[in-house]
Amino acid sequence: MNILLLKVCSYYYYYFQQLLNIRRNKRRGERIKQKKRQAREKEIKMSMRELVTGGAACAVPGSSSSSSNPVGAFANALIGSSSKTQGVLKEIPNAAAASPHAQFYPHADDPVAALPGSELDRPFLQSNPQGSEFIRGFRTADANGLADAWEEIQRQPHFDRVYEGATPAPPIQPSLDGPPQRVLSSFLHSFVDSSRSGIPLHPTPLPLLGLSQGDKQCIRDRSSIMARHIFADKSEEFINAQVNALLSSLEIENDIHARGPMPGRFRELEDYWNESQGVLKPGAHAADGWVTEFSQNRPHHGDLEAWAHSFEQKHGAGGWASEFEQEQAQLTSVDQMRGGNIESLAAIQQTRMLAHTLSQNSDPKFQNSKFLQFVSKMSRGELIIDDNQVKPASENWATEYQQQYNGGASWADEFVHDEVFRGPDHWANEFGAERLQQESVDDQWVNEFSKLHVDDWAEEFGRQVGEGALGDSSSDNWANSYDEFLNEQLAAKQRSDASRGVYVFSDMNPYVGHQNPLKEGQELFRKGLLSEAVLALEAEVMKNPENAEGWRLLGITHAENDDDQQAIAAMMRAQEADPTNLEVLLALGVSHTNELEQTAALKYLYGWLRHHPKYGTLAPPELANSLYYADVARLFNEAAQMSPEDADVHIVLGVLYNLSREYDKAIASFKTALKLKPNDYSLWNKLGATQANSVQSADAILAYQQALDLKPNYVRAWANMGISYANQGMYEESIRYYVRALAMNPKADNAWQYLRISLSCVSRNDMVEACDSRNLELLQKEFPL
Amino acid sequence: MATTELKSDNLFEMMKIHLDSDAGKELIKNIGLVYQINIAPKKIGFDEVSYIVDLKKGEVTKGKYEGGKPDATFSFKDDDFIRVATGKMNPQIAFIRGAMKIKGSLSAAQKFTPDIFPKPAKM
Repeated sequence: MNILLLKVCSYYYYYFQQLLNIRRNKRRGERIKQKKRQAREKEIKMSMRELVTGGAACAVPGSSSSSSNPVGAFANALIGSSSKTQGVLKEIPNAAAASPHAQFYPHADDPVAALPGSELDRPFLQSNPQGSEFIRGFRTADANGLADAWEEIQRQPHFDRVYEGATPAPPIQPSLDGPPQRVLSSFLHSFVDSSRSGIPLHPTPLPLLGLSQGDKQCIRDRSSIMARHIFADKSEEFINAQVNALLSSLEIENDIHARGPMPGRFRELEDYWNESQGVLKPGAHAADGWVTEFSQNRPHHGDLEAWAHSFEQKHGAGGWASEFEQEQAQLTSVDQMRGGNIESLAAIQQTRMLAHTLSQNSDPKFQNSKFLQFVSKMSRGELIIDDNQVKPASENWATEYQQQYNGGASWADEFVHDEVFRGPDHWANEFGAERLQQESVDDQWVNEFSKLHVDDWAEEFGRQVGEGALGDSSSDNWANSYDEFLNEQLAAKQRSDASRGVYVFSDMNPYVGHQNPLKEGQELFRKGLLSEAVLALEAEVMKNPENAEGWRLLGITHAENDDDQQAIAAMMRAQEADPTNLEVLLALGVSHTNELEQTAALKYLYGWLRHHPKYGTLAPPELANSLYYADVARLFNEAAQMSPEDADVHIVLGVLYNLSREYDKAIASFKTALKLKPNDYSLWNKLGATQANSVQSADAILAYQQALDLKPNYVRAWANMGISYANQGMYEESIRYYVRALAMNPKADNAWQYLRISLSCVSRNDMVEACDSRNLELLQKEFPL
Repeated sequence: MATTELKSDNLFEMMKIHLDSDAGKELIKNIGLVYQINIAPKKIGFDEVSYIVDLKKGEVTKGKYEGGKPDATFSFKDDDFIRVATGKMNPQIAFIRGAMKIKGSLSAAQKFTPDIFPKPAKM
């Protein structure tokens, strides 16, 4: 007869929950919001289910082979409180006896209804999940069909009126015939009903219902609570009388202290509860805590005080189930009281309870679980359930969360800005991926969760994931990817500044205040200390923002340091300061070519021609607005013919040919220029780069070597070397060169990325981590040149 | 000519030549799949240019795939493709963010990593 017991419990849960939901659902929301909600719901539900059921002793309601589970019921109930059902529940009070079933199985157009691999037999997210699930579960689990009895009760319109304050029905005499369940149900039914009519229930001897001790206890608890709830406006005596009447009819001892361990089904619960309590014994302590909290929060509900008090007395081994059941009753009565922001307060209360309970669990994993945090925050009112969405009560939550979880930055930001609700899939993926780094206890449910959102993912890809095509290693990849994503986000700000042409100054510049930073910078540049030179030159341009030479040199230094973004930014400033400086224009042309920005590159190279004292005449100004490569190339060739001894023209020509990918011509031009200027290290680099881009990597390496001989600290050349080796498939070698380049300039983002690729090519995943964390020392030790 | 082309064209050109080299032959041996990559200049789906990277035969051609169905088809924006191919953006991240669309065999898609493309050197 534990089934009976459980059914009673569950029924009450279910019903109270529906009430809450009815009121909640009166607020409308759009479908999108609902989707978002569902995404959230799923998280909450799954986590709740996992945490609550814990995969320990308790089974899952709704699965036909397992036992019913008030714990799960609670979970469902809690979830239900935050879910936005579709208004089906509204129909319940008005339910004709006709088709209650229709209410329980609402709209099938729930997009996430079909969750493959779900542990439930039926879609978890139908609008009326708890009740229908439960009833079905019970029905299957219990041969006695008590569920029928309860459903019957539900269908009774006048029962509903109990909660809707309609006209009271005449007192119903319980039918004492029929199967025990029916008798019981009708008896309980009349008990409830009697409240409305204000007529005290007569203790009626009932035929033996075969209630076990456990059943009796449960009924006793429940009825007390129910009574208090239903008869809230009546006196304490009345309540007690009613309860006693009920209990004596059922031959339940009203000795509130006579509580033994619940037999049978509840043993599982007990075990789980005890386990979760850790060293904490169920009993006064937990109750005290709860009661204290409770009293703190509800000082103005005197009636409830008394009730809480009696709860404290009664609280015993019946424990967990009754505790929550009482909470449910409390919530509903709160509802009836229509105090302030009932739903959210109620939810807060609920979650507080949950949080409290969960925090009792001494398992640190549990403590630290994200979900627990979430619930705690909910309970502390930091989160508001507003319009069936969970929103942070303040930005603080997001920030706090962000602080707590390294790398949670963008997640928190996004959440605050509601961006995370962009789609359950996006959020799910992010969340799932992020979680994987945190080593929290949410493992199972998140995995499930991510897998479950198959259909929401993009197209075939998603489907194949659901089929298990993605193995575990992919999860790691996801985690790593997400890590990178976050790093990228963090660095993105800086990059976006630079890409907009805004120069990013370094902090902590020791050269600020230096007497003549320009000179210093030039010295350092000459010596090849590029990063130092950068600092000195920055100091210079901070002092004299119009110093074209300062900016120019800064730009060149950055280019040699393999930082095209900063190079462009600095060069732009230089150009502002001095629009006719040829070197600046050339440098800009080169940088843009490197970035494959063809239009811009053309513009600057053409500008070079126009401003050149000798060839300016060749370049008609009107052409500048509609530059076609062919024209520009032609002009340059004319210039070259004009003065074949001018190396610069050849250099520019070489760059131009790179733009059009006429690599052979480019190589020829550069070689010509090199004959004229053999000691120009940057020219050697250009040659090498051209050769590399035409996949003549072996030649390229030779050219780079020449450049490096001329300038040993030429970071760009080092990086290019690495590229050439990598392109040839010689990844080991390439790694060493990348590391060397990075040692000279740790800010060379390109090099970091290429290094990472090479590392993964040789499957040195341990070093990939070092790479991600930019651990230069380790890499240098591992890969010396 | 040069001004109306996509940035990605550079990469594909390099890839074409690369496939003739030894490293390229390695790729063909290791992967042996046919990819179709649609690059759109501004927005995925508009004005797309298709490239076929045939790692079975070792060719890179422009236009849709004629000899059947490619093993996987990708769609990118011009900039995003460059980012993925040079390793600036991880393919999985690209996928999550919707910067990369995939059709076809998932296992084929997973083999599409930044390291199959040769990197451009900087002048």
